[in-house]
Amino acid sequence: MKKVLVVDDSLSVARQLEKIIAESGDFTCVGHAKNGAEAIKMNHTEDPEIICMDMNMPGMDGLTALRTLSVMDKEVKVVMVTSLGGVGDKFTEAIKLGAKNVISKPFEADNVLRILREL
Amino acid sequence: MAVKFFGQFLVEQGIVTSDALLNAINLQDKNNLKFGEVAVAMGLVTPAEIQRAHNAQMSKDMKLGDLLVEMGFLTLVQMNDIITRQKNTHLYIGEALVQVGALTSETLQKHLDSFKADQAEYVSNAIELPVTSANGKIWETTADLTYKMITRVLGLRFRPGKCTLATTIPPGFMLAAMDMVGDVEARYIISVSYGLQKTIAKAILGEESVDDEPIEVLEDTVMEFVNVVCGNVAAKASQMGVIINIEPPVTLHPPAAGLPIPEGYTALCFPIHIEDGDTMELHLLIKE
Repeated sequence: MKKVLVVDDSLSVARQLEKIIAESGDFTCVGHAKNGAEAIKMNHTEDPEIICMDMNMPGMDGLTALRTLSVMDKEVKVVMVTSLGGVGDKFTEAIKLGAKNVISKPFEADNVLRILREL
Repeated sequence: MAVKFFGQFLVEQGIVTSDALLNAINLQDKNNLKFGEVAVAMGLVTPAEIQRAHNAQMSKDMKLGDLLVEMGFLTLVQMNDIITRQKNTHLYIGEALVQVGALTSETLQKHLDSFKADQAEYVSNAIELPVTSANGKIWETTADLTYKMITRVLGLRFRPGKCTLATTIPPGFMLAAMDMVGDVEARYIISVSYGLQKTIAKAILGEESVDDEPIEVLEDTVMEFVNVVCGNVAAKASQMGVIINIEPPVTLHPPAAGLPIPEGYTALCFPIHIEDGDTMELHLLIKE
């Protein structure tokens, strides 16, 4: 099963994503980071294959963490999960920084899993 | 589903890859020149004049074209010619994807139609505001998207009440807020009852019961609802040419007398009457 790290300051979104991942049968959640800095640390300790990360977080935000991860770890695949996905410049910046996809909130489980399976 | 951009829709649906989209964005970046670049390419101004206008923008909140006219570097007719040239040569993302071979012209129209259908529910309906505001359309859209997300995310039936000017923000059971900064400055506040907080938590967590959930999780779900609405407002605003950045959501704990309206702000109240008799309130504190 592919290892997924969830990064979101919202407990409720992290819970939703962890549930979707746990019930998928294809993925396992290896942890929950609450901001970009924790995500970078947990990427090192947990070695996930996929990171699902929010853009708008207190402390280090998702795009800053993505910028660091794209330099530090060429293997990990990052998908941004955010309510800002529809903001053109944020979306473009995420793709330019190497995000494999951007999922807008509110999201549906089927859509999240389809995108994770296509990575 | 949410307010989104055509390229994002195509990647999300698996129609094009993120790499193909990146190629198309790079092609757009090369093709779609900025106002100043077009003006220089047309031989109407020099790079030095553009630089002087850019410097003047530091202290004047004006668009580059308007400033170049004000500084005497362009005439109004020339400015309009530049804007027309920009529009006529603009490469849209769909066309760029065709040019990089990720889509064909035939399939582009089919996907555009699917995209329009996906976004149809986010077309704004008119809402009447009690005051004239420079960014009235943005605030109407904010209320409209709040209503749409109450239906879509929370699955609640409701009737929107008449928007009024507020003199204080009542304390309520729980208030969740998010600050919007950028081209506009405002605070978005949702006030919910105990019952509505639980309803929102059930919808966000997808659980039948949230009786055992700690208060921080219940409050977090209301903040997440605010985050989803404001993120979609920012997306819609960007399509309207207005930049809105959102800060992380917070909870507010006002005194019993409620929150006073700060000097220089206008407060709009949008009552939302839920089918079961409960009421939610949206307040917008707008810096005018």
